[in-house]
Amino acid sequence: MPGGAAVETGNAELVDARRILPGEWQLTFHAGHLATGARAGQHVHLDPRDTGGVVRRPLPINTADATTGTITLVLGGGTRGPDALTRLRAGDRLDVHGPLGRPFEVDPRSHHLLLVAEGRAMSRLRMLVDEALATGRQVTLLLGAESARDVYPSSLLPDEVEYVVATRDGSVGHRGAVTDLVPGYEAWADQAFGAGPWSTLAALARLAATRRTRLGVAKLGRKRGGGRADPVGSPLARRKAFLQVALDQTIGCATAVCLGCAVIGTNGAPLRVCRDGPVFAADELDWDLL
Amino acid sequence: MKAKKRVVTSRDGRPAGTKRRPTVRRLRSAFEPAPPPRARPPEPDAADRPPSPGGEGDESPVDLELDLGRGLRLASPLMAAAGCFGYGIELGPAVDLGRLGAIVTRSTTVRPRPGNRPPRAVEVAGGLVNAVGLQNLGTEVIESRHAALWAERNVPVVVSVAGGSVGEYVEVVRRLDGLPGIAGWELNLSCPNGARSGTLFALEVDAAAGLVAAVRRATELPIVAKVSPAMPDLRSMARALVDAGVDAIAAVNTLPVLVVRDGRDGPALGNGLGGLSGPALKPLALRVVHEIAQVVEVPVIGVGGVADVDDVLDFLAVGASAVQIGTALLADPLLASRLADDLASECRRRGVAGYRAFVGTALPSRRDAPSTRGVEYRP
Repeated sequence: MPGGAAVETGNAELVDARRILPGEWQLTFHAGHLATGARAGQHVHLDPRDTGGVVRRPLPINTADATTGTITLVLGGGTRGPDALTRLRAGDRLDVHGPLGRPFEVDPRSHHLLLVAEGRAMSRLRMLVDEALATGRQVTLLLGAESARDVYPSSLLPDEVEYVVATRDGSVGHRGAVTDLVPGYEAWADQAFGAGPWSTLAALARLAATRRTRLGVAKLGRKRGGGRADPVGSPLARRKAFLQVALDQTIGCATAVCLGCAVIGTNGAPLRVCRDGPVFAADELDWDLL
Repeated sequence: MKAKKRVVTSRDGRPAGTKRRPTVRRLRSAFEPAPPPRARPPEPDAADRPPSPGGEGDESPVDLELDLGRGLRLASPLMAAAGCFGYGIELGPAVDLGRLGAIVTRSTTVRPRPGNRPPRAVEVAGGLVNAVGLQNLGTEVIESRHAALWAERNVPVVVSVAGGSVGEYVEVVRRLDGLPGIAGWELNLSCPNGARSGTLFALEVDAAAGLVAAVRRATELPIVAKVSPAMPDLRSMARALVDAGVDAIAAVNTLPVLVVRDGRDGPALGNGLGGLSGPALKPLALRVVHEIAQVVEVPVIGVGGVADVDDVLDFLAVGASAVQIGTALLADPLLASRLADDLASECRRRGVAGYRAFVGTALPSRRDAPSTRGVEYRP
């Protein structure tokens, strides 16, 4: 698996649970195999016996701390969300499968990273913030939310991040959609990473597709002899994409069996979010389908 | 009342020759299946066996075998349901399938299908709603690649067949018939019938029977027909399917349902409608199995919301001879083979020689009224 780490099934012990936003909880688990092996963009699966659901529930790894061997996951935000988990107490153990899926691929030459999140999808990008800062990159994080009460607390973010907020009702930051903020950072950014609802990601993808012509940016890097292209969907091809997105889909099995999580690629072929994603280069997907 | 004439006096001690209804020329193959499971209280069986302690370490052999007819013998009555175990090879050869009775593949059409637009699955209270849209690799890949892989494995593979017309079903079966890795067919009747302006095969008795008869002519392998719970009374359907030549009936497929999107501006699934599976479907599936098991002699395979051994025993009790695991397999791919082991230990615990002692214990001693007669008010 391109994620690098071997997939393991292990017991994770709940260390801490706290409410970070109305209806959103951050759970800290002690799970050494996840803390050291996981990369930004990957997710874990919780067992239906623990969540009270029918199928496994994928949750993005919010943060991972290798020194303490802990990971955090963010729950909540929906009425049929994994609410059984919010009743867990510190010391409870549960099965956390992972890390699963393919991570974000950051080009080694990229120094300015633009991260765009909408609402709860913040937890899909949160770990990338840590990874990017640890490798000395500059990070600008744009967040879109309904109103001030839904804005991810800046106290949970590292100080080095430039954090810009847009709210629909204008109660804090820019009034409007998070995608309105993007043009201001496009020229600065070497690469962009998005997470959120399909409509937001589609808007981002359209911006990214026209970026080069709008800005008159030259293609980065040396020309390859003969113009050999990396195969679509390979880590190298994704690394070169300006925009990568992390998708949220109901995942039935995570073993590429049920095909319930599939989205449609630009060539019309279905791509499985559990196995080929959850991170995709924006130009791999057919954005008009949804 | 006329119905009284058809009362079956004793289900357990019925002489082999008696017929409950006149059957017109039922064609059976040379491989006569084992007599269909009948209601039998577990006690008499236990009496003629040496007392078994039934402890944890007890490994006395338990008869879990099931003969589906036409030479298809399953090591256990637990099967992987269509669509929930892929082609059976995704998890690799390293996975020990243990006492899994059979794998039913993802539904296969003549040509590859990309499937529906996303989202394709959404979880609801007690169930999963999916509209994958029969995404599959088509017949050719099975012909050239998968069948050979299946032949190497020790678990029989039943190919689920789907299509938009009788001709398409028959073409899949004809092209794959005789390949070494294929043990039988399951007809996915929940497909729109092109010849009848898209009405599902599963909703029209004559269309379904015609389909089965056409497939029967194309193959000597056992045929399982998977019926839909969307039909109110499946008795006439079940009888017609048996008369057309099926060797077993799987009940039930998913139930067509609708889920509303979060913003309440449309359906949650890209396809609009989806099929409900999971625990929410189980009582419905039990009703259908209970209904069908009373009117057909062929084995009935219970499907719908099976997640533990109690669910398996429930289905056996209402007359199922085998049980398929569907949605629960998605969370735990090895569940089916583990449930087979659980069933074996349940047999030991109850001191019976085989799981057949559990089959049909909840069936009524006389034929029950069909479900269309009403649930709350009965004259």
